[in-house]
Amino acid sequence: MAAAHIQNGAGYGRMLGRPAAGLPGWLGILPYGLVLLAVFAVPVLFLLRLAFGDAGFSLAHFIRIAEVPIYRSVLLTTLSISGMTTVLAVVMSYPLAYLMATVSPRVRSILVVVVLLPFWTSALVRTTAWIILLQGNGVLNRILMGTGLTSEPITFVYNLSGVLIGMTHVLMPFVVLPLYAAFRGLDLATVQAAEGLGAGPWTVFRRIVLPLTAPGAMAGAMIVFMNAIGYYITPALMGGPAQTMIAQMIADNITRELNWGFAAALSTVLLAATLLIFVIFQRIFGLERLMAGGGGTRGGEAFRLTSRGRTSGGILTAACGLLVALFLIAPILIVFPMSLGSSPFLSFPPTDYSLRWYANFFATSKWLDAFLRSLQVAGLSVTASVVLGTLAAIGLSRTGRRWRPLLETVFVLPMIVPVIILAVGLYYLFAPLGLVGTIWGLAIGHTVLATPFVFITVRAALKAFDTNLELAARGLGAGWVTMFRRVMLPAILPGILAGAIFAFITSFDDVVLALFLTNIRTRTLPKLMYEGVAHEIDPTIIAAAGLIILVTIAVLAINLLLSRRR
Amino acid sequence: MSIRHLGKPVRIEGVRKAYGAAVALDGISLDIAPGEFCTLLGASGSGKTTLLKALAGFETCDAGSILVDGRDIGPVPVSRRNIGMVFQNYALFPHMTVARNVAFGLEMRGLSRAEIGRRVDGALALVSLEGYAGRFPRELSGGQQQRVALARALVIEPDILLMDEPLGALDKNLRQAIQQQLRDLHQAIGATIVYVTHDQEEALFLSDRIALMDRGRIIQAGAPEDLYFKPANRFVAGFLGECNFIPAGDGRPGEVAVRPERTLLGHAAAAAEVRLGGQIRSVVFTGTGYRVIVDVAGRVVTALTDSDDKVARLPPGSDVIVGFERRHAMTFAA
Repeated sequence: MAAAHIQNGAGYGRMLGRPAAGLPGWLGILPYGLVLLAVFAVPVLFLLRLAFGDAGFSLAHFIRIAEVPIYRSVLLTTLSISGMTTVLAVVMSYPLAYLMATVSPRVRSILVVVVLLPFWTSALVRTTAWIILLQGNGVLNRILMGTGLTSEPITFVYNLSGVLIGMTHVLMPFVVLPLYAAFRGLDLATVQAAEGLGAGPWTVFRRIVLPLTAPGAMAGAMIVFMNAIGYYITPALMGGPAQTMIAQMIADNITRELNWGFAAALSTVLLAATLLIFVIFQRIFGLERLMAGGGGTRGGEAFRLTSRGRTSGGILTAACGLLVALFLIAPILIVFPMSLGSSPFLSFPPTDYSLRWYANFFATSKWLDAFLRSLQVAGLSVTASVVLGTLAAIGLSRTGRRWRPLLETVFVLPMIVPVIILAVGLYYLFAPLGLVGTIWGLAIGHTVLATPFVFITVRAALKAFDTNLELAARGLGAGWVTMFRRVMLPAILPGILAGAIFAFITSFDDVVLALFLTNIRTRTLPKLMYEGVAHEIDPTIIAAAGLIILVTIAVLAINLLLSRRR
Repeated sequence: MSIRHLGKPVRIEGVRKAYGAAVALDGISLDIAPGEFCTLLGASGSGKTTLLKALAGFETCDAGSILVDGRDIGPVPVSRRNIGMVFQNYALFPHMTVARNVAFGLEMRGLSRAEIGRRVDGALALVSLEGYAGRFPRELSGGQQQRVALARALVIEPDILLMDEPLGALDKNLRQAIQQQLRDLHQAIGATIVYVTHDQEEALFLSDRIALMDRGRIIQAGAPEDLYFKPANRFVAGFLGECNFIPAGDGRPGEVAVRPERTLLGHAAAAAEVRLGGQIRSVVFTGTGYRVIVDVAGRVVTALTDSDDKVARLPPGSDVIVGFERRHAMTFAA
């Protein structure tokens, strides 16, 4: 009794002096740190080193990029396509964000689903859907010709319009979400004050709404641009030769030309551009903005529609917003019913419904194997990333303030660095180790991609966790492990689960790593789909797309149910 | 600053407003004279802010009309109403400097740059913020932001000035200082002001007229003295200041209302017209004197005494005489 008392007393004293008693910060950070070093920093840096010559320092590859017109034009194409995508994403996001902010809560939650569902649906599935919609004998052309609006098919894909439609669709939610948060953060009284002082609707928009929502739009725009310059799948599938972007050029030099040095030089250029934007982003908005939507009303009532209703400009804007919402959801709305058709020819709407192509999917061993393998890889990488990310987040919260910003930045870098660079770097690292063509190599790659998501969500949950609870539990006599299990873990569990869901989707949807790290015997579902889409779209691919959409909806529904219960 | 005789008369006639089944304004009629400081007083949910928003044009009315200077402003859009408004959270434009905030309304009116500069300077001088033109709202204290909001509303020379609990976010000392400034300002410029508050002391201090609202209706409108000393009913008596409800005495039926400061105790009550017996429950020191809580036939009665009154030194449970003069007793139907 007396001994226990003294022990408690000593524990209390330790705790007062240093609340870090329990898990030391460095021990939490170490595992993820080592993984980042071994399978992120090392492969990327090894790859970059190749850019400066095999023997001795040389800038020959860079000089070639600058001097050969075709490479210069690829860089220019990359910048211009990314720029156009960014502008389109911002311009289209404004009416949608306005609409979302000014409708009833019920309609608003439908619109949020309309934005989030495609956002979380694999980019490959969406790209596939757009090709089905837009190709020469696709849904749109058949509608246009059926109504007699055109006599021959319009080429929407395999050219600039295809790339822009696909990329804008994939990346637009990055602008819509922060912009919507900015609209909600707008104080209704500020808008009303301007009106009361004599400003008409257009002036209110130009002088009040636009400047106050611009930071949200800017933040989203930078994320879009940063993603767009490294984009691989959509331009490769929906563009023509004239839309070759830098990521394709890198892949081409590895797989076709076998020119590693030149691919490395292109990667260096891409990485430098990406990091430059990232640094500017961080300077302007801070890392927080990347993690949370930002916004929130500073007191007062959030911007909404009052009993006066919309002006004619408002009605027009809302109508545009509705069209943008349709654009976002269209691929899912059209492809999913198509997957339920029974004809071997793609048609919309299907003449009759059956599960024929789903049955075919599960009866064909290559599809079933690929599907199961995807689940296997996702299972491995979700487990690993949940452990690594959670430990790192807890470790970081127990690390000195001085190191936190740096570590935080380093820990989210895998989200920033273009996937193509990581894919090529891991290929270079894993090939001699015999890890290419195994599910282990791919699972390691996916773990690197997915851990930042777990780290971010758990870190957010820990920030909301009241440290006094920890002290209270320790003060009541609980050891650190007991405190963690019974007090901290239940509090951060929703964050861990959300991170796990993001990690699952990241792994399950990945194409780029799978392209480089798997072979014909170990390919995953997205890779098999990609090969099919690049070749010819058959109905089983649409069933596969439908299946991925279903898995996404299921996972999002689980997330929704879990967050409701909280 | 040459803001003078801005005031226009306002007439509110049978205004109704409902949100679904919830009636926010239930047939409001009110006349406000030019240059009058009129306060809409009420608890939250009484409809005072809804009425203000209807005046400003931020909400539509289901029925009734609002006339400013005899002109129905119902169909006039907000931007053409020429009404100044000071919001509860000030609603300053966070991305504009103080000068740009104040200039905004003048720019909307297409004034020349020189004229705008002159009037902005004048408005800032009026609220004693001459040196702050280049600051951003976030660089100002709450009281300074409040004055910028006031300057921004006044500089357009509005027909009416609307203020929605403008002092709600300020601490007590600052609130009192600004109340005094508001009074002085109102006397200097003579604007018609419609002011919303839930703070009865603030309403009494500032207003020429108070309209007390409850559940979407005006219960009583009149000068502060009228509402305080001649409340129309128990609700008004209880809402404005404290009130004791005491048996009428002298064998009469019913009860009368007497303000604590008119309620006499001990030797002061000895010569009062109406006298009742009671027991002291508790005594609280308030600085200016004592609050004595007395039990009179099962009712709680509060009286205020001087700090040197001997009654305050009696222990709880002591018998004490409670009295009042008949002219201080307020009676009403309900």
